[in-house]
Amino acid sequence: MRAGERRWGGWRQPAGIAVTVAFLLPLWFMLSGSLREPGQPPPRAPELIPRPLSVTSYDRAFDLVDLGLHTVNSLLVAAVTVPIAVLVASLAGFAFLLVAGRARAILVGLSFAALMIPITALLVPRFTMFRWLGLIDTWVPLIAPALLGLSPFYVLLFYWSFRRLPPELLEAARLEGMSPFSMWRRVAMPLVRPVTIAIALLAFIASWGNFIEPLIYLFDPDLYTLPLGLRSLETLDRTNYPVLLAGAVVATVPVVLAFAIAQRYFLHEDRGAGWLGR
Amino acid sequence: MARPVSRLALEGVRKRFGETTALDGVDLEARDGELLVVVGPSGCGKSTLLRCVAGLEAVDAGTIRIGERDVTAVRPAERNVSMVFQSYALFPHLTVRENIAFGLVVREEPKTVVRERVAEASKLVGVEELLERRPYELSGGERQRVALGRALVRRPDAFLLDEPLSNLDAGTRVQMRTELRRLHREIGSTMVHVTHDQVEALTLGDRIAVLDAGRVRQVGTPDEVYSEPADLFVARFLGTPAMNVLASEAARPFLEIPAGTLVGIRPEHVRLAGEGVPARVDLVEVAGSDAYVFLDSDLVARVASDARPSEGAEVRVAFDRKGLHLFHEASGRRVPGP
Repeated sequence: MRAGERRWGGWRQPAGIAVTVAFLLPLWFMLSGSLREPGQPPPRAPELIPRPLSVTSYDRAFDLVDLGLHTVNSLLVAAVTVPIAVLVASLAGFAFLLVAGRARAILVGLSFAALMIPITALLVPRFTMFRWLGLIDTWVPLIAPALLGLSPFYVLLFYWSFRRLPPELLEAARLEGMSPFSMWRRVAMPLVRPVTIAIALLAFIASWGNFIEPLIYLFDPDLYTLPLGLRSLETLDRTNYPVLLAGAVVATVPVVLAFAIAQRYFLHEDRGAGWLGR
Repeated sequence: MARPVSRLALEGVRKRFGETTALDGVDLEARDGELLVVVGPSGCGKSTLLRCVAGLEAVDAGTIRIGERDVTAVRPAERNVSMVFQSYALFPHLTVRENIAFGLVVREEPKTVVRERVAEASKLVGVEELLERRPYELSGGERQRVALGRALVRRPDAFLLDEPLSNLDAGTRVQMRTELRRLHREIGSTMVHVTHDQVEALTLGDRIAVLDAGRVRQVGTPDEVYSEPADLFVARFLGTPAMNVLASEAARPFLEIPAGTLVGIRPEHVRLAGEGVPARVDLVEVAGSDAYVFLDSDLVARVASDARPSEGAEVRVAFDRKGLHLFHEASGRRVPGP
């Protein structure tokens, strides 16, 4: 055991437990709150397990708002957005890798600059553009940013991942006559699978939790995504907060499931020393 | 396995990276079926030379020919050369079988051809038992074999080997060196092997090209380059320990040499005999059957280990005249004689 490991080793477990509790506690209160009987005054102190346990708030949430439809809408939007975002961001990141020195530095610099622009600064110009295109009250404005990789951050993440690959691998592929697209598809992408899954997950969370853009672009309740549906439950009085929390649980479960499925790919990607031939 | 054989030639090849000249007018030829070893110190341009031949770097000037084809401006894949990289560059997500088949699959060869050629190549390099494994499950030597198999399977006009043995441990390196030599004899293709290891160069090559600062200093058989170095750089670079080089003043107790020249003598030609110039032994290094004796007169002698003097001993030193080399002091070029 190295000196650093010895020094921190004893703290790791309690620190890990503390962080886990800090993150799990709000989720627990959301779940336990959703299992409270609706219509009762809110508890005076935090309540770990409500008595009596009830699932009535879930029935009420689905009665008040068409959560099923909104969930399907959100899933459909994410199902289109995430693959496009991963595809475009990875292709752009790979293109960065293939571009020669100075042009590459400019592209990376521009991506950083784009990353600094707050999303709120783009809302009005984007709205104007989509209105001009006649795409308001469709899902296109929610999906269209995926055509630019959703965020410059994802492009840069892919670029950094590709840059870590030994250059000889791509040179070997070039010598065998592979086109840049084939190199991306058959050599580069399989080697950055954990990053791809992580970015897909981030893109899914971004799409799933997107509230402000659906609020601006969608007017037809049949097109509403889940965050908009949840907003309707916010208008309920305080005795019905278990109904809002039930909606929140419904909205959270897919994200937790997505993470649970994906995490084994990027947290346990261990193929031993020399995986990349180094 | 019948192989195409092909001459490979560089004519006046120049390559610069910014202010650095990597190749400075290189003229070099690997003859049909020859194993040419390019040897030189780190940063001398030998890997750049190989990458230029492969097409991974564009040359600034000069011509590269493979066979009778001028390939200077031809894309890497169309040059029909195979390269083995120092790090082997095996695709970690593919099995050994898929790695070896890679070039054929990319070229969309029929499946039966792929199967036959992979079987043939894997047998030749001795990896038939490893075909379903992935590279990270292999030892260094096994990875090296797979890299060679991948190079072989396409039946290229020439093989380019970029320090393929340098990542191996000493034992495996010696074994792979022998196998590489055997493989070359079996397939008879033109090979250009780049290394910084002079022992590898001397034992492996049909001919050796010594490269320094982007220039070819000498090309010849291992015997020629070792016994008749064209200049001081080659003389000092090849041989362990390096050749003793003395100015006329320092050489005077042993022999008279013309002014403006230097005399070189390899350690095995320095005799610790009953007669000669007196000297004291500073240090003795034993290397198995040989011992290197470092003398206070800045000379090194190589003697049989069982006949080595002890440190601090007084000895008499004489030169074996057939092992003497004369060089111009200013240019470093070899002078015929003495």
